[in-house]
Amino acid sequence: MMPIWTKSGEKHAVTLLKVQDCHVLRYVSKEESGGKTAKLLVGGKNVSPFSKPESAHEIFKEAGVPRKQKVSTFNVTDDAIIKPGTPLYAAHFRPGQFVDVTAKTIGKGFQGVMKRWGFKGQPASHGQTKTHRRPGAISTNKAAKVYRGKKMPGKMGNIYRTSFGLKVWRINTKHDIIYVNGSVPGHTNCLVKVRDSKLPTYKDCNKNPPFPTFFADGDEELPEDLFDEEIFQFTEPSVTFA
Amino acid sequence: RFLSPEFIPPRGRTDPLKYYMERKDMIQRRKVFNIPEFYVGHVLAVTTADPCASDKSKRFVGICIQRGGKGLGATFVLRNVIEEQGVEICYELYSPRIQAIEVLKLEKRLDENLMYLRDALPEYSTFDVNMRPVPRMAHEEIPVNKLQVRMKPKPWSKRWERPKYNIKGIKFELPEHKMKAAQKWSQPWLEFDMLREYDTSKIEEKIRKELSEELEK
Repeated sequence: MMPIWTKSGEKHAVTLLKVQDCHVLRYVSKEESGGKTAKLLVGGKNVSPFSKPESAHEIFKEAGVPRKQKVSTFNVTDDAIIKPGTPLYAAHFRPGQFVDVTAKTIGKGFQGVMKRWGFKGQPASHGQTKTHRRPGAISTNKAAKVYRGKKMPGKMGNIYRTSFGLKVWRINTKHDIIYVNGSVPGHTNCLVKVRDSKLPTYKDCNKNPPFPTFFADGDEELPEDLFDEEIFQFTEPSVTFA
Repeated sequence: RFLSPEFIPPRGRTDPLKYYMERKDMIQRRKVFNIPEFYVGHVLAVTTADPCASDKSKRFVGICIQRGGKGLGATFVLRNVIEEQGVEICYELYSPRIQAIEVLKLEKRLDENLMYLRDALPEYSTFDVNMRPVPRMAHEEIPVNKLQVRMKPKPWSKRWERPKYNIKGIKFELPEHKMKAAQKWSQPWLEFDMLREYDTSKIEEKIRKELSEELEK
């Protein structure tokens, strides 16, 4: 995470996400998948093919791509279908867009009720016998049962969570890095899924994004760094208020 | 040669590419805006842009008591006593609001962290706001001021006599038995702990080479 300054001198914290060897693996049509839209399977980071059996390599062989560590699905409309085997780059996103980021949260193991659900526990002294971090009562007398989904101790973390509506501040096309506002679930160097935001406030935010995606062998020549309009770029002199 | 401490990456499992991108930004900023070489104990004057001030800029003079943070978020704290009120301001080195940093007095102290000046007599933290910059003699060594600071009576904000802080710049006027009792908290095994060793010599060399190449362009 890194600080970033706007032209008015305000500081924001930014997470760096690297797009490492992403390829489209397979196209699944609407009828085949049984959902409402077609799906595209996309694979992430390259990994050695020797730790899995040959049967698991079929998808990758069809697309002509080395084995990937993570495969995720994206729901796509029919006009955004991409041929399997095309690489995806960070320039697919543009600064000023809003994005949802999904990842597995940091695993905390088996945790008690105070850390997992934020219960208050009991006082440390004044006669409490062996009760300082316990949940206390778990149901009422009239209910005569414990409801399903009662908050109790258990394994915490290591589940998929999404942070919605994160602004993209900057894109580096040379190293394929996306600078995304705020924090993102997961530990450092973990695998992350980035999608266009589904929030209704940001429905009309994408002004001419590269559609269906940014093709490296196309005619467009992008500069090494793409900045949002409001970012203070370090090539400018210091900020002054008129 | 001097290498600013915020360039040295901390020990961790982060991808070195992240530190490379930060360093590129830091070098960009240094090309446009001159950040002078300074240590803890120097007296600096910083002018920042401020929308609320009548001249749209604010100037603050103070002694640097601490340099913290790595990368773009590096900070330094300046302390001064103005009208008998101690004031400390934490500035970010790479913030675009800073318009000028001038070094008024070059002087290293015996410690790297002068937080004990909060519990010292106020005369050691007062510096004239309209001080003239002291001219540097030769471009050689920065003088080390071996000043032993006198403290206000206890209680202090932190127990500076304990060996954990390893302070050499205070003239402790405490009785002998209190100084001996403070040594109980010493941890003499720490200097032999191999897991805590972080040898930065090779990293520093690489970064120095990178810096000198980029700044000459």
